[in-house]
Amino acid sequence: MKTILLAAVTVPLLAACNPSTPPDAYDISKMDLKPKPAKITAERHTGVFAEGAALSMGAELKKLDPSPVKTVRLDTTHKVIEIAPGVKFSAWTFGNQVPGPTVRARVGDKIRFVMTNRSDEPAPVPQMVAAPMMHSMDFHAAMVSPQDKYRSIAPGQTIEFEFTANYPGIFMYHCGTPMILEHIASGMYGAVIVEPRGGYPTKADREYMVVQSEFYVKPTKQKVDGAPLYVLDGDRLRAAQPTHTVFNGVHNGMVKTPLAAKPGERVRMFVLNVGPSKTSSFHIVGTIFDRVWIEGNPDNQMRGMQTVLLGSSNAAIVEYLIPEEGSYIMVDHHFANASQGAIGLVSTAAKPPAQELEHHNMPASATPTEPDAVAGKLAFESKCLACHSMGQGKKLGPDLAGVSKHRDTAWLARWLKSPEDMLKTDAHAKAMLKEYNNIPMPNQSLSEAEIKQFIKYFQWYDTQPAGAVKPQAAGH
Amino acid sequence: MKTALTAALFFLAAEAVACGYCVEDKIASTYDHAIVTSALARGHHVAFFHVDGAPVTRRALEQAAAAVPGIDKGSARISPDLLTLSFSFDPGRASLVQVNTRLDRRLAAHKASLMPLRVMERPADLKTVKR
Repeated sequence: MKTILLAAVTVPLLAACNPSTPPDAYDISKMDLKPKPAKITAERHTGVFAEGAALSMGAELKKLDPSPVKTVRLDTTHKVIEIAPGVKFSAWTFGNQVPGPTVRARVGDKIRFVMTNRSDEPAPVPQMVAAPMMHSMDFHAAMVSPQDKYRSIAPGQTIEFEFTANYPGIFMYHCGTPMILEHIASGMYGAVIVEPRGGYPTKADREYMVVQSEFYVKPTKQKVDGAPLYVLDGDRLRAAQPTHTVFNGVHNGMVKTPLAAKPGERVRMFVLNVGPSKTSSFHIVGTIFDRVWIEGNPDNQMRGMQTVLLGSSNAAIVEYLIPEEGSYIMVDHHFANASQGAIGLVSTAAKPPAQELEHHNMPASATPTEPDAVAGKLAFESKCLACHSMGQGKKLGPDLAGVSKHRDTAWLARWLKSPEDMLKTDAHAKAMLKEYNNIPMPNQSLSEAEIKQFIKYFQWYDTQPAGAVKPQAAGH
Repeated sequence: MKTALTAALFFLAAEAVACGYCVEDKIASTYDHAIVTSALARGHHVAFFHVDGAPVTRRALEQAAAAVPGIDKGSARISPDLLTLSFSFDPGRASLVQVNTRLDRRLAAHKASLMPLRVMERPADLKTVKR
């Protein structure tokens, strides 16, 4: 008994003294939990809206800045951004962009943060953006008192505070001023990457940041550059019914500007799902995630995954190989979200040919600006291109270029509402069924509003000069 | 002694308000930039209050604010969710303490009172209220 007791006491002691025992990466006694109080002043910053060597402004990430203190400025602004072709939205921002710049640091680094609320500064179209208001900053990467550091500041005020990055990961930042849902949905979010103290255990050839988020917008009668100004749709927001789900702030944005990678390269992708209300089922067509580090922490490792599920404010690092030449399609595999714009490419070609694109993504040299036509175009590109083209000839169904010229609006409305009824009674419909190998047009259960949007889009298309709209990509 | 005790109680109460609902968040809930800029341009001040006690309707708060001399007509902003009232007032006609006292007198019928949070006397300067 005495021997057992002695062993019970000495073994842990010896283990503690063993020099080969790795240090605890999460030793709380080594964490900085006593940051200085925040400081709020009436000093207005007037220079650039975002600055700091630790900031990356787009998807391509800069290497880690070696300085142990990262000084970061992210001022708040109100501005009009274009979230989809013709959809100019009255946004609220950090660093004058949506999403805000990515902050990159390492465990143990100090983030010295400063932010001026510049929501009251004159914008190019000041009458069209939201009224100046109070804003704040909530860093999920920090361990600090929210009542001190995350205080809301009025227009013209500046807040400064600092914190130490204690845990590795990808962390969201966002405005925490009530109503938080509105502030996030208006564009006030971004990411902080905190690398493990010793770096990542693998070597990557490329590093990219992908932020998924939702927009809930509705058009107004106000115009920006001839297009309607879109504002937050509070009803859709509270019902969690987004109009757009996007990567890096833009509908199909990384289809038009794919991320580059070469065959044989290992890509490290930092993925953050901002939400604010939807999950992401992040997937890349054509490869498998060799490693997934949930929340961006290599201690939370999974291997050989097809998809990573991310709730609002969840993140992951996904690493994968590019096996051969091609365009690898990033997508939220909740396809309702993908159809709203959560799609992008990682491509071995600088500019992938149009026929390689996913059917959701049609770059066009001309786009509609009238809201119904915009919605119709997006819906068409999401739902119809598997069977139809616009100007590229017949597929399973007819080429719809010119359809509004040889069918009147009432006929189109009836057809879109109930194709099965038309096939019983209408001569044109019967002839079309025969021409297309008796493959009937499925009823899409469209609402009156959606039918109107499709027709507006067809009418817009048919009024464009020849060659003004690039041919649509093939579906699959 | 009584003054010191009152001040101590006030600051304790203010801290209690900050717990869960930051003072600045309450202010943000009724902050109206048009009211602020218009008031400060005329030398008026903007005050922000926590509404304490029994629930008071928006209408009752608006009526009380409209009836107190010195408070600018139509400047009252109310957040029922965060129990916050703000308005601009003319310090030449009534001090903050006076408008607070007069409002409290009117709200006593509703078993409610106001706790001043911040006052804005200059742009971008939310001053802590000392009584």
